[in-house]
Amino acid sequence: MREVVCVKRWVCLAVFTLGVAASAQVLKIAFDAADLRTLDPHYASATMDRAVVDMVFNGLVRYKPGDITVFEPDLAERWEVSPDGKTWTFYLRKGVRVHPFTGALDGYELTSEDVVFSLTKAADSKTSAYAGEYAGMTFAAVDPYTVTITLPQALSPSLFLPKVADYAGGFIVPKRAYEALGEKFATNPVGTGPFRFVRHVPAQKVELAAFAGYFRGKPKLAGVEVWYMPDVTARLSALATGEVHLIEGVREQAWVDTVKRMRGLVVDVFGPGETHILHLNMTKSPLDNPIIREAIAYTLSRTELIQAIGPDLAEPLCGVVPTYLAGGLSCDEAQARGVFYEADLAKARALLAQAGYPDGFSLSAYITERASYRKPFENIQAQLARVGIKLEIKVTDHSSFHSLIRQDVNPLVHYEAWRPSADAFLTRFYHSASIVVTGAKPDTNFSHITEADALIEQARAALEPAVQAALWKDAQEVILRRAAALPFYVLKFVFARSDRLDYGYELKSTLALYPPINELTSLK
Amino acid sequence: MTRRFGGRRLRAFVRNRTALVGLVLTLVVACLAVLAPYLSPHNPLEQNVYNMLAPPGGTHLLGTDDLGRDVLARILTGARVSLTVGVCSVLIGAVLGSVAGLVAGYFGGRVELLLMRVVDLLMSFPALVMGLMFMAILGPGMDKLILAIGLVLAPQVARIVHGSVVAIRQTEYVTAARAAGAAPGRIIVRHVLPNVLGEILVMSTLWTATAIRVEANLSFIGLGVSPPTPTWGNMIREGVRWLVVTPWLSVFPGLAILVTVLGFNMMGDGLRDALDPKLH
Repeated sequence: MREVVCVKRWVCLAVFTLGVAASAQVLKIAFDAADLRTLDPHYASATMDRAVVDMVFNGLVRYKPGDITVFEPDLAERWEVSPDGKTWTFYLRKGVRVHPFTGALDGYELTSEDVVFSLTKAADSKTSAYAGEYAGMTFAAVDPYTVTITLPQALSPSLFLPKVADYAGGFIVPKRAYEALGEKFATNPVGTGPFRFVRHVPAQKVELAAFAGYFRGKPKLAGVEVWYMPDVTARLSALATGEVHLIEGVREQAWVDTVKRMRGLVVDVFGPGETHILHLNMTKSPLDNPIIREAIAYTLSRTELIQAIGPDLAEPLCGVVPTYLAGGLSCDEAQARGVFYEADLAKARALLAQAGYPDGFSLSAYITERASYRKPFENIQAQLARVGIKLEIKVTDHSSFHSLIRQDVNPLVHYEAWRPSADAFLTRFYHSASIVVTGAKPDTNFSHITEADALIEQARAALEPAVQAALWKDAQEVILRRAAALPFYVLKFVFARSDRLDYGYELKSTLALYPPINELTSLK
Repeated sequence: MTRRFGGRRLRAFVRNRTALVGLVLTLVVACLAVLAPYLSPHNPLEQNVYNMLAPPGGTHLLGTDDLGRDVLARILTGARVSLTVGVCSVLIGAVLGSVAGLVAGYFGGRVELLLMRVVDLLMSFPALVMGLMFMAILGPGMDKLILAIGLVLAPQVARIVHGSVVAIRQTEYVTAARAAGAAPGRIIVRHVLPNVLGEILVMSTLWTATAIRVEANLSFIGLGVSPPTPTWGNMIREGVRWLVVTPWLSVFPGLAILVTVLGFNMMGDGLRDALDPKLH
């Protein structure tokens, strides 16, 4: 009898051990990066950094996992806005625990003091890269679980909620942890998310562990390892051999098609995607002539560019704000407004002749070495050559490219971008204050257009969503009619995963720029 | 007194099978480069986005790249670029390095000390790192690339020429010319330079191979010739992204580099053997 009991115990122990191993595994993700840059959420902007930050921190509200069109409660369980639209009140969840850190080995409960501290940090240009988003706002803790945010001017929910969502400056940094860690916080982040930071092995990986005290429940995974593998072949090999479970892929059709055919692997192509737009510098000759810009617009074929990238990955973009955002201009709308350009070489040549350049002219422009920029730019070069426009391409590294285009050296700037709202797209790329070098707040207005300012400002102040969207579309019409920018396509994101990986939600779009991993994610 | 590449040495070179194979390989690559516009089955710059990454065969013997350009046409055109960069940069390096080596070796003293320490300093960096540094300073473009690689090679030339000149300046015919009142410039040009030319010629074939490799490496990391001009280096670089899908995009230009570098190296070894009296 004792022997039977003993055997049962061993069987139970074995089953328990196997059960634990099967139910709580470590997910390994490989990114196209050599190392992390910063894990301070108010500075993180690269994909691999946003991914870690997304797993460690929360916002007051969050984009529904896998669907950025829906906001849902996160640290705040509910919120309301005053009748004048200027004061927003957020009611925090009780019992939200901050991850353990030196100085608070059991963590502590997150309160309004932390939220006010974090938003104040996000609004300070000395401690945040997103301070401009919070200019003029004031933050107050009414009680430990209530926070009010007062705006200098009323904003519609579609413009305000992204500022307090789980993205960029909206991530909530716990006060005591930030003050305890000081400068180390950027490489040793402490938040309230489903996974807590464990360690960073330079140029290799970041290790995260499941946070048992997470307010939505203990994660199904035991932890996550974020690996840095800049070589795509190495990443794919690691995925195929089971060393990692999820990798950043190549945003091109042939790669997607090839990996789809590999056994045990699944390819996810998801939004929101980044806009690919050619900005024409209206101050540089001969592009200062609107006829020349129109000629370029009628030279370049959006269809050909999309074919070069891949129809599954690139969606046509006919306005400068994509249609997945409120205020986006569809191709039909662009056509109806008479600002839809598609290749017509005879018309382009006639316009060039009218402008005094029947044989074309020469341009010289820098482009980054990154394939997602370089490849379409080489196609643009080939297309322009058809009407005699010789484009000399100077390839440089990615950071030098960004620095050079902000010094206004390029007559043509091919730019890949994601912004959370139509206002952000229009203000940062097409408002006169954002003109590179000479603007009041130099940003990314590479075309130097000034004519859309009034419409952009009116739209920002509008509270009625329909009116606001109509104004954003009017602003785009002005930009397109001046041929200041030529929108081509929205390029979606590509990740490949093992078919054992279950995200725990349906992936359609995400602002984290990777398939978010949360408490519901599991490995079969 | 001058050592020339006379009949005896030519016979020694021709008898050397390795050297002959090297010469043939080099000549074949040179012919392909010169005749590239006539041999290319397609325009190397013409894109066809409806026929991207086509496998070898059919109208595209070596397939097409990720913008639908013919890989064979691009390899042939790339040969022109690689050989132009290789030969021109070696010429620049040989001229600059020879002047420095001749001056340092003939005059000696402080001039030698200063010049050779600079040469030592520059040679302490690997060729690729030096190339990177010069390209960062000069910026992109084929002319800049040629100059950068020439500057990379110059210290190596200077070191070899200096060594030979130090030995030659002690010879009786140089001493005699000096005693006869010949000016240093005349002695260097008439008596010293002709005696190191053979060695420079031999080494130039090897340096050409080095220059082609450095060009390929710099183009591979995006610091070489600007697009759409094809070079073997940037073709390999563009192909690396597609290794899983279409490995031939990197393999074919890689083979072209292999054959060319091998040809120059084998020819250089043969020349060295033919000119080295100790080996006869």
